[in-house]
Amino acid sequence: MRIVKYLIVISLLFINSAFALIEIDITEGNREPLPVAITSFFYDEVDSIKLNEISKNLSEVVSADLERCGLFAAIDKDAFIQKNPAMHLRPRFEDWRLIKAQALVTGRLKLVDDDKLRVEFRLWDTLAEKEIEALVLITTTDNWRRISHMIADKVYERLTGEGGYFDTRILYVAESGPKNKRIKKLSIMDQDGANHRFLTSGKELVLTPRFNPVKQEITYLSYFKNLPRVYLLNIETGNQEVVGDFPGMTFAPRFSPDGSKIIMSLAKDGNSDIYVMELKSRVVTRLTTNSAIDTSPSYSPDGKKITFNSDRGGSQQIYVMDNDGRNQKRISSEGGNYATPVWSPRGDLIAFTKNFKGSYAIGVMRTNGEGERLLTENWYQEAPSWSPNGRVLTFYRETPTNEAGQGHSSTLWSIDLTGFNERKIDTPEDGSDPSWSNLMQ
Amino acid sequence: MQFSIITSSLLHVGFIIFTILGLPIFNNPNVDIPPIIQVEILEITEQTNVPEISKREVEEKKIEEKKKDNVKINQPIMKPKIEKSDEKVKDPAPEEEIIKPETIAEKNIVNMPIRKPVLKKKDNFDELKIAELIDMAQDTKPIEDAKDEEYESLDSTETLSDKLTLSEEDAIRSQFLRCWSVPLGIKYDDSMVVKVKITLKQDGSLMKPPEVTDHQRMNKPSEKYFKVLAESALRAVRRCDPIKAPAADRYDKWKDMQLSFDPRELLR
Repeated sequence: MRIVKYLIVISLLFINSAFALIEIDITEGNREPLPVAITSFFYDEVDSIKLNEISKNLSEVVSADLERCGLFAAIDKDAFIQKNPAMHLRPRFEDWRLIKAQALVTGRLKLVDDDKLRVEFRLWDTLAEKEIEALVLITTTDNWRRISHMIADKVYERLTGEGGYFDTRILYVAESGPKNKRIKKLSIMDQDGANHRFLTSGKELVLTPRFNPVKQEITYLSYFKNLPRVYLLNIETGNQEVVGDFPGMTFAPRFSPDGSKIIMSLAKDGNSDIYVMELKSRVVTRLTTNSAIDTSPSYSPDGKKITFNSDRGGSQQIYVMDNDGRNQKRISSEGGNYATPVWSPRGDLIAFTKNFKGSYAIGVMRTNGEGERLLTENWYQEAPSWSPNGRVLTFYRETPTNEAGQGHSSTLWSIDLTGFNERKIDTPEDGSDPSWSNLMQ
Repeated sequence: MQFSIITSSLLHVGFIIFTILGLPIFNNPNVDIPPIIQVEILEITEQTNVPEISKREVEEKKIEEKKKDNVKINQPIMKPKIEKSDEKVKDPAPEEEIIKPETIAEKNIVNMPIRKPVLKKKDNFDELKIAELIDMAQDTKPIEDAKDEEYESLDSTETLSDKLTLSEEDAIRSQFLRCWSVPLGIKYDDSMVVKVKITLKQDGSLMKPPEVTDHQRMNKPSEKYFKVLAESALRAVRRCDPIKAPAADRYDKWKDMQLSFDPRELLR
């Protein structure tokens, strides 16, 4: 019996030895953008007059989108080795690996019934030598730019696991004129600056525009009977209305995640508190009753929590409460004044503006206040707004006026969550108060 | 009859008298029996912190004592301290013969059985033992071939030889670090570690496609971040193909490998 036991133990030792596997931990990697080859989409010779320009522009927009996000590097087209249409069916992967491409985008354009544009694209993993995404989109030819953004979104989503944000728009306040006599117009553009248009003429001052997450509708602040009021504007129909007729000032409006409510501040007798209004019934509910100034409310993506800022503790800080106003709790604790808290669409972070030691920073913290990270600091900047995938923030930055009263500017910027890839968003005039839309449906 | 009895009796008596007078054991001298001294036995560790003398030191002392006792041996005696290789190089020939540093260098240190330089403790000095030591001192064979029962191998010897050296591991790791483009967009949690099994040829190229150990997780719709991370790991392995392989004579040790791609430090 004892011998049998020994034999078992010895055989186990041999098994263990035979299957001993070398394990190596890879805890660091290459942070460089992923090299992607984006080819011009092919088309039939008979359609060349109409599709030549679209093919060229489409791949340029896809490349620009992917490059701008900072996670991808588009390889120069001059470096491409394979250039024939066969690549769309089966690329010569070794040719693409030779130019260091880890992913390849190919496509084909075709004009179909009633001159509609049929766009077919494929995404290839050049190292695994397989197709990893394929899609066909049909639209009118003048809609090629949106198609480009949608393709970029698909590539981004497939290679990062995160939803894209290229087929989106940014709403902001366009500014012009001297600082003491600023003209402010409500404006909208694609996230890459294209398709820009002004929504208001500039006669009335406009502030803090915000998108409805589920509809082509915006809410913003303007003046009505010389009092700041919250407005609703349908950007498809142009219909505009004042939200409620309150005795005091209303400001800092924002939609709930389902678009059915507007949460805002209402100032009465010098005291500002947070109210929520059901848009259908126009029923208003007061959520805070503190004697301090409570403002800048923002819903969590599930609608169960609200973050806001308040000076009830002596300085402006960030608080979180339930959606009925209960369990109000301060979460910011690192010193300095905090403002404009905005809950991330992913739900894991709250972005804010922080005034500390004479400069303004845009930062993020976890929803319990831990893990504060300042992404960018400058003389003056504020009003962060999340991209729909919760990866990028847009905000605006001002420069000071010099002694001659010149030099003031206000510009839009974006920065990703890592704190890298800070980019200026070009606008025809100065800009402030940006708000990022959800993906267009 | 009576004569016989009387004669026998006289002879017996005479024999007994001779025995008593002649044999020394019956000569019982007066011995001073030492008085009984009471001794209290105490545990020495309770009384002192003096470290216990190691077996090795005891044996060294014994050897030294015997040397002093003029044990006439013409051969040099091996010093138990063999780790000072520098000194040995400078020492005259007999010492060099004990262990040649270059002999050690030629051998793979990892494969070398680790010996405990512990000598058996014996109560009495044994000249044969010294002779054995001398024989061993003259032995120029590599250490691993010596099968002296007085030297014991550590149990961990086999485990050590199964592994790559740290520098070999680092060399492999650094290659994959350069090849891995970390998908910085993914949402991190503690379970986001991808383990990839690879099998390599002797030239360091992949023998078969790399395999994610938890490949079922990749196909779950709710695990899109894991899928992206796993795909990035597979791309890294393919991008690094072929890797600069460690020594070919140890191919069976690194033929199969498991790589753990852990983006914790980059994404947290």
